[in-house]
Amino acid sequence: MGVARVVVHGTFLVSVLIASFSALGRLPVTILRPTGVMKYLPWSFYDRLLTPAGMTTLKVVMVLSLMLSTAGLFTVVSTKTSFLLVLFYQGLLRSFGHFNHDEMLGIYCLAVLAFTPCGDQFSLDQWWKKRKPIARPSFAYAYPILLMQLLIAWTYFSSCLLKLRASGLSYLSPDNLPSLAIYHSLDNLHDTAFRLAFWLPQFKAYLPVVMVVVLVWEFCFPLAVFFPRWRWLLLGGGVIFHLSTLFFMNIFFPHQLALYPIFINWDRFRKTD
Amino acid sequence: MNWLKIKYALLTVAIFLPLFWAFVYVRNAYPVATWNVMMAPGLLERGRSYWILRGETVSGQTIDIPPITLTNAMYSRTWTMVNATVANQSFKIPNLHPANAELLRQSGGLEQLPPGARVPDLLRAWGSLYNERLGASSPQRLKAIRLDMYRWEGGSYANYDKFIESWRQEL
Repeated sequence: MGVARVVVHGTFLVSVLIASFSALGRLPVTILRPTGVMKYLPWSFYDRLLTPAGMTTLKVVMVLSLMLSTAGLFTVVSTKTSFLLVLFYQGLLRSFGHFNHDEMLGIYCLAVLAFTPCGDQFSLDQWWKKRKPIARPSFAYAYPILLMQLLIAWTYFSSCLLKLRASGLSYLSPDNLPSLAIYHSLDNLHDTAFRLAFWLPQFKAYLPVVMVVVLVWEFCFPLAVFFPRWRWLLLGGGVIFHLSTLFFMNIFFPHQLALYPIFINWDRFRKTD
Repeated sequence: MNWLKIKYALLTVAIFLPLFWAFVYVRNAYPVATWNVMMAPGLLERGRSYWILRGETVSGQTIDIPPITLTNAMYSRTWTMVNATVANQSFKIPNLHPANAELLRQSGGLEQLPPGARVPDLLRAWGSLYNERLGASSPQRLKAIRLDMYRWEGGSYANYDKFIESWRQEL
């Protein structure tokens, strides 16, 4: 579970380190549309925060907290502060743009880790106190891992059900994928500028089959939680799926992909050592 | 052990109950999410507008400027930020920013507000960020930055770039 803490908190640490908060603080506060719980913060708060100095301060605090929680120092406190800071920061980003889902899974995993003993092992807390691992039942560590795996599975499974519920069989229309992919490849506002989408119309007769495969993969993803033999096939499918959306649609979910190591049984490696 | 089970049960309910609610009602209310990404099918018949950010340099060139190079923290959300800014979405929320409320009052209401009322502010911020990375005498500095709007009318896989209008900001 210590490795899961490093994976989840480390993902957000890298993400925050490479983001320019001071540039974000230059965006006009007047284009902000606070979303969800962000609506309850007053405008005077946003006016003070959305400045280069205000955002740089937020970045320093976030980096410090995420470094502590990733390394497992003062874990009981630092995992909670990291969760709250990331929750706020991601809400701020969504108040500028749309409710994109890439980091949401990671936020829920931060919530799980904030309230479970993820610093008992593979942490500076354990090393600092030169203590033996605290004797807790294996359930104390196994259940949070299961919970995070279920969250990952839920994202794909529910996504499949919603597509079928909202669109039915029309989701399998040959024009569905090409028209969406081309739309996301026309502007220069996406993070990448791949142009593979323009190849899709000539293969559109085959694309419904691809869509069926994607829907079946999403529907079956919960099997990865309960059947380790299926895990590598389903996770491999996830890697292919997310890379495909990157190259064909200029849409990428790196935070979600970065959480796949939660499915690895890290204890097995420890026993081997 | 029993206390641990109760604690974990509460944690599970606290996380999954809102997720089930969001799934049933297909609502995203931050931080509660439903994974409705591309839930609706893409329709070829449906026209779509899109934008390209460009800069005019002091040497007379027109260059494309991907905004991700200016505000990388907005990662994957820039296109909807521009969509919303052009559509004056920040003037359509219940609790307006005082400056937006004042502009709305001066304009005489939402109907009188021109499209993209805050686009010049956004362009000014991006233009300043771009120029600050260059020396004062660089020919690559921008004298103006603009947001060009295009439309793909749909119906066929062709004619993707019908020019609609442009917002231009002198720097």
